[in-house]
Amino acid sequence: MPLLETVDLSKSFGGLRAISNLNINIEAGSIHGLIGPNGSGKSTFFNLVTGVYQPDPGSKIIFNGHDITKSASHDIGALGIARTFQLLRLFSEMTVLQNLMVGYHTHVPYGFMSTIFNNSAVVKKDAETKSEMMELLELIGMADYADMPASELSGGQRRLVALGRAMAMRPKLLMLDEPAAGLSPVNVDNLLSIVMALKQRFGLTVLIVEHILKVVMETCDTVTVLDYGEKIGEGSPDAVKDDHAVIEAYLGQEMDDDEVRKAFNS
Amino acid sequence: MTAIYSIFGRISETIEKLAAIHRLLPWILAFALLLPLPQILSALFNDYYIYLANKICIFILLSVGLNIVKGFCGQVTVGHVGLYAIGAVSSALISLHFGWSFWLAFPIGILAAGLAGIVVGLPSVRLEGAYLALATLGLGESVRIMIAVTPLFGSSTGLLSIPAPTIGSFTFDSYTNYYYLVLAAAMIGIYLSFSILRSATGRAFMAVREDTVAAAVHGVNVTKYKLLAFVISALYAGAAGGLFAHMPPGYIHHNNFTIIEMVTLLLMIVLGGIGHIWGGIIGAIIVTIIYDQTLEFYFYQPLLFGLTMVLIVIFMPRGIGGMIDRYLATKKFIASQEEKSNAAS
Ligand SMILES: Nc1ncnc2c1ncn2[C@@H]1O[C@H](COP(=O)(O)OP(=O)(O)O)[C@@H](O)[C@H]1O
Ligand SMILES: [Mg+2]
Repeated sequence: MPLLETVDLSKSFGGLRAISNLNINIEAGSIHGLIGPNGSGKSTFFNLVTGVYQPDPGSKIIFNGHDITKSASHDIGALGIARTFQLLRLFSEMTVLQNLMVGYHTHVPYGFMSTIFNNSAVVKKDAETKSEMMELLELIGMADYADMPASELSGGQRRLVALGRAMAMRPKLLMLDEPAAGLSPVNVDNLLSIVMALKQRFGLTVLIVEHILKVVMETCDTVTVLDYGEKIGEGSPDAVKDDHAVIEAYLGQEMDDDEVRKAFNS
Repeated sequence: MTAIYSIFGRISETIEKLAAIHRLLPWILAFALLLPLPQILSALFNDYYIYLANKICIFILLSVGLNIVKGFCGQVTVGHVGLYAIGAVSSALISLHFGWSFWLAFPIGILAAGLAGIVVGLPSVRLEGAYLALATLGLGESVRIMIAVTPLFGSSTGLLSIPAPTIGSFTFDSYTNYYYLVLAAAMIGIYLSFSILRSATGRAFMAVREDTVAAAVHGVNVTKYKLLAFVISALYAGAAGGLFAHMPPGYIHHNNFTIIEMVTLLLMIVLGGIGHIWGGIIGAIIVTIIYDQTLEFYFYQPLLFGLTMVLIVIFMPRGIGGMIDRYLATKKFIASQEEKSNAAS
């Protein structure tokens, strides 16, 4: 049984069909790539799965046996789906550590009333959470910046914090929306090795949207290709690479075979 | 400037050290230190300043409450004064008409304000920014107008002879005596705000303020936390209102709850630093004093305070508290980096 399954998933914005009858299965434990040209619906897919957008009637999203089609974002998060945003959406005026602590929100072991009537227990629990989050910050190499406001970090550091905040949710499924956008090649490699390490350590399933095709080809077990909100190809990276429909849609018809090969390998 | 910073640095270090011994120790010590303030004020200046100390404590409660909903949760509200009025009128009426003791009337007034806080908060589920400001302004002003036109609530004469609280034979009927009550209330209010804001609840509030979509995706029930922030801040406003009503001479009038008071309140948290607990308290102290010293220019106060607020937003967007915080954080970061390079070499 797949960890995440969408059945006839659709989303229209006015007349525009951003996602069209999409059936995707993401197998537990896999790294699943989602690629497609700009505007093909990748981020919309993320927003549908995480409850940010409501799907059109007739759609169905099932996660780990739960029908989450109509669930609220915070309930979906609590079930074990974490995501990053293409534009990060960090809590800018909060510190790095606080960003992660919010990620941990659904696991907080006390309620509002104990903050007033049993505050010493709250302080103790928070201290435990803090050290757990510090361990996570060590893993992503951001422990030195724990007390810095997120707004004061560089672009690459902000990407790492977004990843850390998602990981603080202790998710089953981690969805990354262009996590390496704007990073230098060295930082791309660093980020990928961190993702792989996290996957190993926490037994994650990963869904990754990425423009750098080399990344997708090297890391993914399965790749789904979107174009105009429709699935136009799916399979192992090698199979997708040789799929003519994919090559045409994704890279345009004018490229010859050599150029295509180059694009996928560089 | 650095001198001021380092004073705050020193104070916060001392507080941390005391708190390490026992959590409540800094609070008890601060309370003990502030207890003889009326005697000091009357010896150094005159008794008017004891009244001002009372007012500062009440406005601290208002400011701390407003800071929770506006500063921490990011919800624009111009209805806070209305909730303050509800707390004041409820508590006053209950003791005037039923003859109930302050100790019953006061909590009922707080609860009444808390319930009204849900109503003021409901628009926040759908509205943001200027629209939310208008909705809450409407609710707050309608409370004041209701008081102004209803004889039972005092209308144009106000409510008079609201009884002073008593404990046994001790009566809080002078500004010096009443100060002990409002000081205790302000300290408890500050303490509770720390407890709430330095917990998952406070972090959820801030996440809602920063980005509702990201907050929701990370498991924060945005609607629940918005309403919770409104209700908590309303409870603070209700407490401030009740304390104001029973303060000598036990008189309240709808003119105490106007948009001018609301602007004053907003200025407190803007000056102190939006979302900064201590900043809001410092802001309350400074602005209450300025407000009282400029009372003869009553009609110009909204303009004066509004302009000051705009200037602060432009030139000092993090307020006093934010500046101090940033200074301390930078210092800490530099120290930790130096420690590292020392260890390495
Ligand atoms: N909130 C929205 N309102 C209207 N149109 C939207 C919205 N979100 C996305 N779209 C449209 O849906 C299409 C897919 O967008 P998106 O999912 O962001 O693409 P991708 O992430 O693959 O680049 C685009 O045409 C985009 O303009
Ligand atoms: Mg996108």
